Amino acid sequence: MVMVTDDPIVEIKGVSKTFNGVVHALDNVSIAIGKNEIIGVVGENGAGKSTLMKILVGVFPPDNGEWYYRGKKVPFPKNPKEAAKRGISIVYQEKGVIPCLKVYQFLFLGHEDKYIKYSRLDIDKMKKYAREVLEEFHVKCNIENFMYELPLSTQKMIEIAKAILSVRLEHEDNNITSVIILDEPTAPLTIEERRELFSDILNMKKNASFVFVSHIIPEVMEFTDRVHVLRDGKMVAHYDLSKEKITEEDFFRAIVGKESLEHIYKPEIKRVANEEVVLTVKNLTKNGCYYDISFDLHRGECIGIFGTAGSGKSEIINTIAGLISFENGALIIKGQEAKTKEPPHVRLTRGIGYFSGETGKELFLNWPITKNISIVNIKKILRKFIPMINFNAEKQMAEKIVQRLRIKTPGVSTDCYSLSGGSKQKVSVGKWFERSPDILLLEDPTIGIDVGARKDIYENTLEIKKKRGIAMILISDDPKEYSLLCDKIMFIKHGKIQKVISGEKFKQELEK
Amino acid sequence: MKIPNKKKLIPLIIIQTIKIYPVTLFLFALLVIFSSLYPEKFLTPLNLSTILRQFVSLMLFALGPSIVVVTGSLDLSYVGIWMLGGILVWLLMPTLGMFSILVIPLLGLATGFIVGVIQAKAKIPSFILTLSVLVIYCGLTGTISGGISRSVRGYEFITARLIPYIPTALLWTVPIIIAAVFIMKYTKIGIYLYAIGSNEEGARLAGINVDKYKILAFTISGLFTGIGSVIYFQHQGGAVPVVLNLNTMVWPLVAIVLGGTPLTGGSGGPQKTILGALTFTVLCRGLTLSFLDPTMIQLITGLLLIASIVASSRGSKGITVL
Amino acid sequence: MNNIGPIIAAIAIIGVFQLINPTFLRYQGIITLVYAMSYFLIAACGLTFVIMMGSFDFSVLSLLKLAALICVLYIDKFGLLVIPLALSICVGFGFINGLLFAKLKVPSFMATLGISVVVEGISLYLSKGFLHIMNDRTFRSLSVTFIAGIPSIFYWAIGVWMLCTFIAIWTPFGRRIYAVGGNPIGAMLSGINVESNRIYVFMLSGFFAGLAGILYMAQFGGGSIEMGADMTIPLFASVVAGGTALTGGVGGPHRTLLGVIIITWIQAGLLMIGAGRSIQMVIFGLIAIVMGISTIDRRRIKIIK
Repeated sequence: MVMVTDDPIVEIKGVSKTFNGVVHALDNVSIAIGKNEIIGVVGENGAGKSTLMKILVGVFPPDNGEWYYRGKKVPFPKNPKEAAKRGISIVYQEKGVIPCLKVYQFLFLGHEDKYIKYSRLDIDKMKKYAREVLEEFHVKCNIENFMYELPLSTQKMIEIAKAILSVRLEHEDNNITSVIILDEPTAPLTIEERRELFSDILNMKKNASFVFVSHIIPEVMEFTDRVHVLRDGKMVAHYDLSKEKITEEDFFRAIVGKESLEHIYKPEIKRVANEEVVLTVKNLTKNGCYYDISFDLHRGECIGIFGTAGSGKSEIINTIAGLISFENGALIIKGQEAKTKEPPHVRLTRGIGYFSGETGKELFLNWPITKNISIVNIKKILRKFIPMINFNAEKQMAEKIVQRLRIKTPGVSTDCYSLSGGSKQKVSVGKWFERSPDILLLEDPTIGIDVGARKDIYENTLEIKKKRGIAMILISDDPKEYSLLCDKIMFIKHGKIQKVISGEKFKQELEK
Repeated sequence: MKIPNKKKLIPLIIIQTIKIYPVTLFLFALLVIFSSLYPEKFLTPLNLSTILRQFVSLMLFALGPSIVVVTGSLDLSYVGIWMLGGILVWLLMPTLGMFSILVIPLLGLATGFIVGVIQAKAKIPSFILTLSVLVIYCGLTGTISGGISRSVRGYEFITARLIPYIPTALLWTVPIIIAAVFIMKYTKIGIYLYAIGSNEEGARLAGINVDKYKILAFTISGLFTGIGSVIYFQHQGGAVPVVLNLNTMVWPLVAIVLGGTPLTGGSGGPQKTILGALTFTVLCRGLTLSFLDPTMIQLITGLLLIASIVASSRGSKGITVL
Repeated sequence: MNNIGPIIAAIAIIGVFQLINPTFLRYQGIITLVYAMSYFLIAACGLTFVIMMGSFDFSVLSLLKLAALICVLYIDKFGLLVIPLALSICVGFGFINGLLFAKLKVPSFMATLGISVVVEGISLYLSKGFLHIMNDRTFRSLSVTFIAGIPSIFYWAIGVWMLCTFIAIWTPFGRRIYAVGGNPIGAMLSGINVESNRIYVFMLSGFFAGLAGILYMAQFGGGSIEMGADMTIPLFASVVAGGTALTGGVGGPHRTLLGVIIITWIQAGLLMIGAGRSIQMVIFGLIAIVMGISTIDRRRIKIIK
C-alpha cells in the first residue's frame, strides 16, 4: 500500500529490518510524507513503530529498502545530522530534554558549528535567533530559563522547535518544509497540557509536516490527516481520515488483528465472585491524572480498567500498587486505610501485589528461574525450625510452575536472560500466582507474547481466580483480554469513569 | 497598607538571597566572624597572603576535576599526577635539563586520555578507576624514588617573589583559571559537557558523540592538573613526598561540592569552584588560627564534604544505584 | 570464566612463587600468610555485602583503624568492654553511612569517603599522633592463642567467613541483598524494603570492619597502623577478584575467600622477592582496574559514570 501525495518530502519503500537475524522488526514497509500534513502511525508495542522511526532519522540503517527524494533514489541517512539534511528530525518520547541547559543552548544543541567564531561561540547571535524562533512558534518563555524550570508542555514545544531548527540549519534549502516525527509526545502531559500542545502543533502545520506516533487512538483520530497501522512489522492498514469515516473499533481491529480474534480461548471455567470486599477505592484523585475514582473489588473478582493510553488507567493502577501517591480520596485494603504515600513493599504486606508486563522492570534477569520465583515466596521455602532456605523446596516450587505454565526452558536453573519474551513473562506471572496475594494488579500482563503463551497464562489466571479467590485489576491494550478475564469493566476517559459494564456485555459488544 | 507589606517583604528577600547565594553568604559570614574574633591575626597582610597561597594550591588541583564532575564522573587521580610527575622530573633532570618540567603536563594529558578511554569504552565507574590510577601512580612514585622524598632544584624562578604579599603562583594561576572558565562557558565543548552531565542519553540522542567528549573532559582535566602541578611543585619547595594523605586528597572535592557543582553534573564547574575553594580556604585558615585542635580541621572537612553533598543531592529522586 | 578463573589464578600464583623460592610453603611462610590474610578476610567479607548490593564502602579501613585505636586507648579504663564499645561505634558509623546513602540519596562512594575522612580525623584526634602499645594479655590472646599450631585469629576469620556465607546464601536477608543489587526497582516491587536493607548492609560492613580492627590490634599489639587510602584498593580488589561484581547481584562472601587468598598471597610473594610496598600498590591498582572491568555486567547498566 503506497500513499497518495504529490511530491512527498520523504518517501521510503520496501523497508525491512531484522534484529539478530530472527526478530522481524519491520517487513516491507512503505511510507510517504508530504507537505503540511500530519500523519499518524499506530500499533501495539513491538509492532515496529520505533524501529521505523529510528531508521528514518538515521539511528541505524535498514536491511532492505529505498529512499526517494524528488523522484531520485538516495542513500539512507547514517546519523541524525544527515537525516536533518534530508529534512527529517525527531522529538523523542522521553529523555530528549537536557534539563540543566538554558533554552537557547538547548535549541541549538548539536549545531553549534554554525555559530562558532574563532572557536568561540557567538552567544549573542544564538540568543537573538533563539528569540526569533520562539516568537515564530508562539512559545512563551525566556531564553535564559533553564529547561527544567519550564512546564512540561513548554519543554515539548521547545523540543519541537529544536527539531524544526535542526532541519533548517542543516538542509541547504532554508525554506524546506521539515518533517518532524513526534514519538508519543503527549505521554508525560496532563490532559489540559495536551490540548495546548495540539493546538500549537496545528498552528505549525504551515511550517512543517508531522508524523505522530502514538497509542492514543482518539488523539490520532482527531489530529491526523492520514493514519498508518503497523502490526508485527507489517503495514496492515492505511486510512485517509479526510475521505473515510473510521471508528475506534476499526482501529482496534487493525491493530490487534482480526485473525487473532478467532483464536479466542473459550474458558469452561465460570467466573465466580464472592461478596467479600477486599478493596475499596473512594473518590481517589490525583490532579492531572485521574479524578474521583470509586469502586469496590470483591474476592475472586476481576475488574478491568479500560481506556486508551493517557486516559489515567495506568496511573490508577500504579497508585494502588504504591508506585505513585494520591492526593485525595481513600484507599481501603481489607478494611484498613492505606496512607497516601506508601512504597510498594508496604502495599504488599497489606495484600496487594503488582505485576507489570515489562520484564526488565520486574525480573532479576541474571538470576535463575528458581530465585526469581522464590524472591516473593521466601516464607514458603524456609526450613521448619531454622530460618534457612531449603533449596530443594525452592527447586520444586519452580518446577511446579514451569510445568503448570508450560515455560519453555532447559531447566529451572537457567538464567532468565536466555529465556524468550513469553517465557520471561510466564516466570513473572508464575511467581505472583505462587504468592497469591489477596489482590493482584496486572498491567499489560501479556504484552508482546505469542498466542500460545497467552493461552497458558489466561488458563492459569482464571484457575487462580476461582480456586484461590484472588481479586484482580487488569490493564491491557488488548480488548479480548478484558473480555476473557474480567467480570466488570470500567471505562476511563480523561481520568474519569465513563461507564461500567459487565464482562458478558463487553464480550457481546466486541463480537459484533 | 505600606507597613504590613514591608514587614513581610524583608524576611522573604532574606530567604530568597540565601537560596540563591548560599556560598557567597557563607564566605562573607566566615570573613566577618574570623575578623571579629581574631582581628590581630586574621586581617594582617601576611595572613591574607597565606590565604591566597592556600587558595591557589587548592584551586590548581580542583580545576581539572571540576570539569570532569560537570559530566557526572569523578577524577581522583590528581594527587597521583602531581606525585608521579614530580618524581619523573627528578628522574629526567640529568638527561633533559630544564625541559624535564614539561613531563608533568604531558603526564597529565596522557593520564587523562587513558582514563577517559577506559571509562568510556570499558565502562568502569570513574571513581574506582581514578582511585586505582592514583594508587598505581603513588606506587610508581615510591618505586622510582626509592621510598624517600626527593627534591628538585632549578625551578625556583617560577614562584620567585615579585609583588609583596601577592604569591607569584597566583599570577600564574589566574590565566589558567580563566582558560578553564572560558572553555566551559564560551565553547561548544563546555555546552556538550554540561549536556552529558545533565542527561547523557538525551545528549546522545541529540547527536553528540558522548564517548569523544567524555574522553576530552578527562584529558583536559589531566592537562590542567599537570599544569597546576608544575606551579604547585615549586610552591612546595620542589620536594615530592610519597605518602598519601586521605585528608588532603579530599580537599579539592570539598572545594568543588561546596562551590555548588553537583556530583551528578550538569551545572557548576570551574567558575563555581573558585568560590568553593576560597570559602574552604578561609574556613581552614580561620580554624587554624583558632584554639581548636588541628586534628579537628580534618573532622570538619569531612563533615563539610558530607553536608555539601547532602545539600546538593536534595534534588535526586528515585532509587540511587551505586 | 567467573567461576573457575579465581581458582586457576590462585593455583598459578602459588606455583610461580614456589618456583621462585622453594621455602614459600614452609610452616613459617604459612603462618605469615595466615596473619596477613585473617583480618583482611574479615573486613573483606563485610565489604562483600556492600558490593553485592551494588554500592561501595570506602570507610572500611578507617573504621578498622578506629576500632583498633579504641581498644588500645581504653583497655586500661574499660577492660574487655572496649570490644563491644568499638563494635558499637563502628556499627553506628555504618548506620550513618546507610542513612546518608539510602535516605539522603548521597552516592555511596562519596558518603563513605566523607565518613572516612571524619573517622580518620577522630582517630587522629584521639591518638594525638603517638604510637600506642597493647599490653593486655587477655586481649591479645584473642588473636595469638595457638590452637593446633595455627593462631586463633585464623579461626575467627574462617568462622566469620562461614557465617557470612551462610547469611548470603541461606537466609532470606542474604537473598534480599542480592535482589537489591540485582535490580533495585524489581526488589522494591517484590516487597523488599530497599531503604532499610541498605542501611542494614552498611551496618554489617561497619561491624565486620570493627571486628577486623579489634582482632588486628590483638594480633599486632600496637603500632600506628600504616594504612592509607591506598589499602582500600587491595581490599576492593580481593572482593572483585573473587567474583563479586561492582554492578551487584552476583558473587558473595564465599567467593571473597578466594579473592583474599589471591591478593594476600600475591602480597606475600611480592614481599618475598623484595618488591616493596610501592610495587604492591602498582600491581594492586592494576588488578583492581582489570578485575573491575572484567566483572562488570554490561547487559544491565547502560550509563556508567
